[in-house]
Amino acid sequence: MEDYKFLFKVVLVGNAGVGKTCLVRRFTQGLFPPGQGATIGVDFMIKTVEIGNEKIKLQIWDTAGQERFRSITQSYYRSAHALILVYDISCQPTFDCLTDWLREIEEYASSKVLRVLVGNKIDRDDREIPTHVGEDFAQRHNMYYLETSAKESDNVERLFMQIAAELMEQARSKELPRYDINSQNINRRTTTIGDSCCSRSS
Amino acid sequence: MRPRYKRLVDNIFPQLPQDGLVKSNMEKLVFYSLSSPEKLDRIGEYLFQRASRDISRKRNGFVVIAMEAMDQLLVACHAQTLNLFVESFLRMIQKLLESTEPDLQVLATQSFVKFANIEEDTPSYHRRYDFFVSKFSSMCHSNHSNPEVRITIRTAGIRGLEGVIRKTVADDLVENIWEANHMDKILPSLLYNMQDSKYYKDETGSPEVEDKNDPALLADACIRELVSRASFGHVRSVLRPVLRHFDLHGLWVPNSFAVHTFRIIMCSIQSQYSYAVVESLMSHLDENSDSSPKIRTSITHVLSKIIAISAEESVGPSVLEVINSLLGHVRMSASKVSDTEEAQYREALIGCLGEFTAHLPDYQKVEIMVFIMSKIPQGNSRDDSRLQLMLLKSLLTVGKRYTNIAMNTTFPVSLLDPLLRLCLSGGIDTALMVQGILHVLLDRHSNAEKLSRPTLDVADAGLAFEPCSRSDTIFMRKFGEEIYTCLLEILSLNDVTVECIESIYTTLALIAVELLTAHTITAYLTMVYSIQEIALSQNNSLSFPRRYNLHAVVAALLVLVPEIMQIAPLKEYAGKLIGERRSAGAAHLLPELLVTYPGEVTPPAFQIPVNLLVDQAVLGECLQAAGLDTTVMTRSLTHRHSWVESTGVTMRGSVTDLNSTDVESANSTPGLPRKYPEEELSFEAMKRVLADSTEATKEEEKQKREQLFNAFRNTTFKDIVNNNTVRFQVVIFI
Ligand SMILES: Nc1nc2c(ncn2[C@@H]2O[C@H](COP(=O)(O)OP(=O)(O)OP(=O)(O)O)[C@@H](O)[C@H]2O)c(=O)[nH]1
Ligand SMILES: [Mg+2]
Repeated sequence: MEDYKFLFKVVLVGNAGVGKTCLVRRFTQGLFPPGQGATIGVDFMIKTVEIGNEKIKLQIWDTAGQERFRSITQSYYRSAHALILVYDISCQPTFDCLTDWLREIEEYASSKVLRVLVGNKIDRDDREIPTHVGEDFAQRHNMYYLETSAKESDNVERLFMQIAAELMEQARSKELPRYDINSQNINRRTTTIGDSCCSRSS
Repeated sequence: MRPRYKRLVDNIFPQLPQDGLVKSNMEKLVFYSLSSPEKLDRIGEYLFQRASRDISRKRNGFVVIAMEAMDQLLVACHAQTLNLFVESFLRMIQKLLESTEPDLQVLATQSFVKFANIEEDTPSYHRRYDFFVSKFSSMCHSNHSNPEVRITIRTAGIRGLEGVIRKTVADDLVENIWEANHMDKILPSLLYNMQDSKYYKDETGSPEVEDKNDPALLADACIRELVSRASFGHVRSVLRPVLRHFDLHGLWVPNSFAVHTFRIIMCSIQSQYSYAVVESLMSHLDENSDSSPKIRTSITHVLSKIIAISAEESVGPSVLEVINSLLGHVRMSASKVSDTEEAQYREALIGCLGEFTAHLPDYQKVEIMVFIMSKIPQGNSRDDSRLQLMLLKSLLTVGKRYTNIAMNTTFPVSLLDPLLRLCLSGGIDTALMVQGILHVLLDRHSNAEKLSRPTLDVADAGLAFEPCSRSDTIFMRKFGEEIYTCLLEILSLNDVTVECIESIYTTLALIAVELLTAHTITAYLTMVYSIQEIALSQNNSLSFPRRYNLHAVVAALLVLVPEIMQIAPLKEYAGKLIGERRSAGAAHLLPELLVTYPGEVTPPAFQIPVNLLVDQAVLGECLQAAGLDTTVMTRSLTHRHSWVESTGVTMRGSVTDLNSTDVESANSTPGLPRKYPEEELSFEAMKRVLADSTEATKEEEKQKREQLFNAFRNTTFKDIVNNNTVRFQVVIFI
């Protein structure tokens, strides 16, 4: 036996430069990389966390925000258990693009995928998107909501731990999508993620 | 006391990792595994546990040794039990790939490749390669800050993907590698490593510089391998992500990489499927109909470059589908606002059409010409004429690649008829274009250049020709009149240009060179004489300069005929006539043709002295002296039954049709306008056009047949004699 009980795939998406890679590095390596370059294609990281007494292995796929890599990044949505959609709270356009991202997610990801909206860079003092606006958006689209700072390490740990916890709960109640390798449509579920899914902003 | 297998495993590890695998103990472990294969899975599991522990303690040296041991066991043991061992082996590899250390990732890939090259007795059907495809694709995009490490990781990624492909491609039950889920990762990853490299630009491909570890070359080889394994159903799965990648990375303009990629795809794909590649590119062009003309042009150029490879494999419907699709694009483009870039796109389409047809057998080229013809609108609006010209240009392109052996196969009624009709219904530009097509198709001996404009020096031109065959003679007797009528009518149009007159001269001269025989010369000379009649006729509104042009054409043709048929009196007569025109200072009645003639030309167009004109009677005498039958000429001339008068009746074909054994050709009967198929793009519709006979017209045909018989009954003997074809048939059958 390997040393973990659950394996979940988490995929990060969102515009270029919103801080996806920084969030992952902060979580997996505990650092804020100076001069982080744009991601090419897809990066991969692994981190095993413990909840209760269970070890949970998170496979984290960090996708490039640049449009030209869209074809390859989309192919990673498909098998994700959780999708983290990131925007930059100090950059309105990254928020405006969220609906486009949601459309992509609808098209390429499992309908059961756990979706989390993250407003990153809260350490910045030039905020453009107030918290309640992000919160509202998340609520309307049935997503969890969290604001983070990869730089100051605010809420980063919490983000991934909550995802791990939620996925574990789902897995226990056998709600986890079963990936049928031959079909893209995964047990379409008619109900939404559940009452607990709504805003959990900080 | 630990179990024996664990001790054996522990013993292969040295005290210090840098000492490497303890070889003698490794041999013992292998021997043990071979003699107790049932223990192999536990050995694998134990090795994996040890390595996991070493990884988390960052004792990479021991990890490397564990992996090496697993490699050796994998190669040494071919037993059925390998299956269970493989599970541990792959878990080990995954574990290493999860590490952030480049060294371990590369090591894992090397082991994976070794594994991929091993034939398993019973592949494990539950085994999934999803993680490996995802991870190797990610490695292909490595952005490691150290360039050397970056290349190493990318190279490993490509090798890994190649391994997955090898392992899975032969057996869909193992893992369907052709699924979009995998293809969407594999292809962009490979292409990404090729696109920025310069290797594909080096056409000479100097192999000694080739670096075996160059990611671009590795990726190139990997794509070839993948494509070569694709069955028909897979071709699209491969191409879809490729096309998407080119769109997203803006790789169409410039298109050298696209050309390279599609060439290697065409070269690697099983040849019977190469058509599917063309089809995919074609539909990609459809999808790009709103993209900039530059992109469309580029895609079309890529098509041109590969389409020839597919033409050799294409059969039946697929050929016409390609043509149809290209014509559809021509049409679509013709309806767009026309600027230089759009025009370049159309040129590219037509070029592509040419490339494609060039490699088809000649009979198919005729089918294609007929097909293109059927798509040409006959209208006169500006949109129509633009499309007409574009499609005629397409037709010309095909015609250029065609080798004319026999006229009747080159010019089926379904081609000749609408072509001639278009000459008259379209504008002068259209007529000119049609001449171009006629030249290309008629000119079997490459004389067109020498006959490009009227000249009196044909004797020195070195014309090449052969005796006209019997089937060609029949063709001419059957269709000569129709052709002449049409050309004469254009010559009498008041907006006819010098260029157009010259071009018609070329057509007529080529007919002379290719088709003049004892059986066709009379009709030919009658036609030449009719040109003079047009030049003199008061029934048209030709300008004086155009009338002079026509006289010059008459002179040039008259000189040409005796060069082909050795008729001394005619040669003499032509020489005398030209001499008289010269000495009378009537150079304007001789080539070359001018747009305007300076000052006072004497004599004016309507007052040309008889001695400067061609004399019909003399023409007849010349033929008689040569022992040729002139009945037709004398009659037609005596009865003023020249074609000039028949202007207005486009085709005087009804009597001719009596003799055509296939009643289908009655399509040319006046008063029964030929139906053009709706813009229906089905293959059935195309076949109908080609067969030149539609179900729907059966009834019409029956009526036509009756009309023809009535016409025959009511036609006087004289008229029948006047009709070349009938007389010829009589001659033949007597
Ligand atoms: N102030 C602040 N800056 C951040 C934070 N997170 C990321 N950044 C900065 O934002 C820039 C982009 O961060 P990345 O993590 O590379 O962004 P990304 O989303 O991975 O971008 P792509 O890989 O191109 O999709 C970098 O300059 C980071 O230093 C944050 O929490 N606060
Ligand atoms: Mg990034």
